[in-house]
Amino acid sequence: MSVASDKKVITLICERACDLTSVTSDSGEVKDVAGLQVVKLPCSGMIQPLMIEAAMKAGAAGVIVAGCQIGDCYYREGNRMIRDRLLGNRPPGLKKTVDRRRVLALWLARPQKDRFLSEAKEFVQMVRNLSDTPAPAAAPKPEVKAEAKKPEVAKAETKVDAQGDKKPEEKAADAKPNPSKEMPVNPDAPTEGSGPAPERP
Amino acid sequence: MYSSIPKGLTDFTLLLEKGTNAVMTNKYNPFYYHGALPQFYLWVLYLSGLLLFAYYIPTIDNAYFSENLVNAWTSVDYITKQIPMGAVIRGIHRYSGDAMVITIILHALRVWVTDRYRQYRWVQWVTGIALFLLVLFVGQTGYYLVWDERSLILTRMTVSALNYLPLIGPGLSAWFLNGSAITNLTLSNFLFIHIGLSFFLLFGLWLHYVRMTRPVMTPPPAMNYILMAILMLVVFAYPISSGKMADINGTPTSFDIDWFFLFPYWVMAHVDLGVFWFLMIAGSVALTVLPLPNLYKAAAPVEAAEVVLSKCVGCRLCSLDCPYMAIDMVPAPAGSRFKLLAVVKPYRCSGCGVCVGACAFDAIDLPNLLDSDVTAQIKAMAEAK
Repeated sequence: MSVASDKKVITLICERACDLTSVTSDSGEVKDVAGLQVVKLPCSGMIQPLMIEAAMKAGAAGVIVAGCQIGDCYYREGNRMIRDRLLGNRPPGLKKTVDRRRVLALWLARPQKDRFLSEAKEFVQMVRNLSDTPAPAAAPKPEVKAEAKKPEVAKAETKVDAQGDKKPEEKAADAKPNPSKEMPVNPDAPTEGSGPAPERP
Repeated sequence: MYSSIPKGLTDFTLLLEKGTNAVMTNKYNPFYYHGALPQFYLWVLYLSGLLLFAYYIPTIDNAYFSENLVNAWTSVDYITKQIPMGAVIRGIHRYSGDAMVITIILHALRVWVTDRYRQYRWVQWVTGIALFLLVLFVGQTGYYLVWDERSLILTRMTVSALNYLPLIGPGLSAWFLNGSAITNLTLSNFLFIHIGLSFFLLFGLWLHYVRMTRPVMTPPPAMNYILMAILMLVVFAYPISSGKMADINGTPTSFDIDWFFLFPYWVMAHVDLGVFWFLMIAGSVALTVLPLPNLYKAAAPVEAAEVVLSKCVGCRLCSLDCPYMAIDMVPAPAGSRFKLLAVVKPYRCSGCGVCVGACAFDAIDLPNLLDSDVTAQIKAMAEAK
């Protein structure tokens, strides 16, 4: 088993979720867990699936997404939205090529620093020991640890499974960052690659 | 963040909610429905009030039936003693009013403790205070309708308090009594105030919700059943009874106080009328101006999100996801490839960045935290050895 022990793990965290200021250095590294970097955002809802993809592409071993407890978002709905995006229930979703085993979502209130550290340590250990072989065809869903027993999540996951019935071209459409089909595109406008727009009289 | 609130208080609330989540799961955590609970009790009040309204007679006396007296007090007595389940409906109406006051106070407290009442949320706070005062007033008029001795004292106290006000006082008391003295018309006016103003609550609630996308207005059904069960327990454990019928010639001097609605009358009984009005008005104004930005100079001002016009494809995702209805979709200028364009209303924006997370085209940005910078930081961190 190849052990890439020097690979970083990126944490994208809401600044109102568990308070890590006392355990992070100025450069954003968690002192207790080597190689665990923290990026603070005003709300977990600001996390773009593109950011997770960028981290993976740049060679991160895994990404931790941390928000407040589901139901309690300072900005009302941010943590629900990033959760639904990770689960594929809300566009824009995470690309299918992203290894789901390398993404961990934690929903923790501000005083729950210790819970974060223990979960993160375990995750970093696990992710670094994963082999580099691509994920199996039916990639496991993103782990939703602090949330695993909640009925809502169970429902969300069944929805994800239901997508398995889709035709290949529908799946391909899902994988693109493009949002829903109802996206209002102007039919009169010239399409890409068809040359400059015809001049109107 | 949370700058104006004692840190321990916020942490305590968050831990309390975490504990409740562990027991009830976060789908059924009452803390996450704090605003929906008063709304639920409002529906209960409307329904039970409708049933009571069917048998209520808003008069203080009826000379044509002097042997078989019919007035407000006897009609309430009839509802309580003769109509099947009448006492239960009356109890539900009274106690859900009390519950509404309790839940409104808890709602306001949680919103204050978690610092969710100012900046872009000031409309919700100010309309919330107006709604609370209206709920208190409508609730008080309910106590006049029973027309027992307490109603008579309350009416006289209100009239003397209104008369104390300069200029508008006499007019207000004439409006309140529907004339210059307590007559049958007074009670029909009370009934109109009680029912008519209660519908103004719906207008106030519209203002309360107007800046929020998907406001949480209804608790899950299971929670409604539990709330109803608790209400019924109280109704059966503490049945409601009226006092003695009011005698317009008598001068009753004391009454049982209901602390949820009648505390202003307790204040009125203990201080001078001038002091009473000062306390009531100053208290209301102080609550209303709580979100004034001048009180929070240390807090960082909100920097509204900005749309990158050249990148926006008009897919509507940010406008659908914005929790504060701060993004409008407008028709794109002629010649554009796309039909729509997102436009941010800066006075509604909270600067949370949910729109940034919703955008797959990098077309919307927080000016103080560009998503390209965040991505660059992530890349640098991931590539560092």
